[in-house]
Amino acid sequence: MSSSDAERNRAFWDQRADDYQAAHREHIGRPEPRWGIWQLPERELGVLGDVAGKDVLELGCGAAQWSILLAAAGARCVGFDNSERQLEHARLAGAEFPLVHGSAESLPFADESFDLVFCDHGAMTFADPLVVVPEVARVLRRGGLFAFSITSSFAWICWDDAVDGVVPALQSDYFGLHRHEDADAVTFQLPVGEWIRLFRRCGLVVEDLIEPRPPEDAVTTYGYDLGWARRWPMEQIWKARKP
Amino acid sequence: MGAALADGADLEGAEAVTLSDHARRNRRAWTEFASGYAERAPRGWARDEITWGVWGVPDSELRALPDVAGKDVIELGCGTAYQAAGLTRLGARVVGVDVTPAQLETARAMQAQFGLEFPLLEASAEDVPLPDASFDVAVSEYGASIWCDPYRWIPEAARLLRPGGDLVFLVNSPLSMLCAAYDESPPGPKLLRDYFGMFSFEWPEEDEAIEFHLGHGDMIRLLRASGFEVEDLVEIQAPEGAQPLVHPAMPSPEWARRWPSEEIWRARKLG
Repeated sequence: MSSSDAERNRAFWDQRADDYQAAHREHIGRPEPRWGIWQLPERELGVLGDVAGKDVLELGCGAAQWSILLAAAGARCVGFDNSERQLEHARLAGAEFPLVHGSAESLPFADESFDLVFCDHGAMTFADPLVVVPEVARVLRRGGLFAFSITSSFAWICWDDAVDGVVPALQSDYFGLHRHEDADAVTFQLPVGEWIRLFRRCGLVVEDLIEPRPPEDAVTTYGYDLGWARRWPMEQIWKARKP
Repeated sequence: MGAALADGADLEGAEAVTLSDHARRNRRAWTEFASGYAERAPRGWARDEITWGVWGVPDSELRALPDVAGKDVIELGCGTAYQAAGLTRLGARVVGVDVTPAQLETARAMQAQFGLEFPLLEASAEDVPLPDASFDVAVSEYGASIWCDPYRWIPEAARLLRPGGDLVFLVNSPLSMLCAAYDESPPGPKLLRDYFGMFSFEWPEEDEAIEFHLGHGDMIRLLRASGFEVEDLVEIQAPEGAQPLVHPAMPSPEWARRWPSEEIWRARKLG
């Protein structure tokens, strides 16, 4: 646990966890790994590759829907979350691997202990990436992959508070994107160039930026506008590797 | 390569060049534009430092260029070759490549006026009649970077570069392209085009020129597939107090203070 932002987001998620899992359980509890808002199949996006026999850390695992599936595929998973209540849901869901409580800003793991660190709209949204990415680079082994999904900077700057959603026009500044505080929580986002510089500073090679486009019949329980997401990237999946 | 070109003579080879349809269209369009750019050329050539883009942000601030002194540098789509001139002053052995003879004529006139010689080559950056691995740095600013098909010119730049060589190029940002109006008015906040599928852009009101712009993910994948490591993406913010631009279709300083109008990619050839 480090910053007051992490404290605040912990309180937010402890308080929200039950409602969140109840609202999205069906959507995000699919029998195969799927990504993000529209639950796009990993088998189509091919982000993580073969996980069998790998040491895998999930940042902001929530109820560990992802890690439970990867463990079944032969990964040695560790689920990590800032909310004890979320980890309680992971236990209830049958996670049989270590579940570690903490903020991703300070990872309680030895250097070079994972082959894969990943996050699906988790800690990379709710913890400061300028602090988290160096930590991830530290705990990754050489050749290891860091992959995570976030809401895109594009969607971020097209967010209109008046309609509580994205609109087809730029609403807020792109330059200076970093920390956003509202009544509930603190969230983070960076311009694309800032992500690239951050990875490079931490010694990671930029391997891909997937901007997934949901299919016409995509559904979500998160209340986002599919029409918008079919035209502009609502999410980004970054892949960076430690050489 | 550098030594072979050091006499400053223009390079032969245009006969061997193949031109795509869009390269022919853009050459016709740029033949039309050339006189306007000839008027502006002396100002670019007189600059005592390298700047980038329409806001003239100095490279000393953006740090997009590697150290070019003593290096073999190719400018892809050099136009009137003001960037090539600046690179030459920094001690680089520069070759300027452009597909439009009228632009190269201006570049030659500037060379004579400013007493600064370097080789100029008429060719499309999609097919440059020069050997593999003959340059340390490839640069493009509103040249090949937006007027050539990226799926052709970026692999070609990779071919021309030596292992470890740097590719540095400036393009319009995807955001500015999606907000760009179809008439001659500047971009506003509205997204007028889709991001998914963005590739070629035409301006029916204006001329037959055709531009190419990729989204960020597509550009990263293309650079990687062409053998580059992605080093940086510098998204340019208009400086405080920036003055409105003359061209009516350009973004206002207010727009470009909030959102990136231009960006510079930096990539290094693996090997």
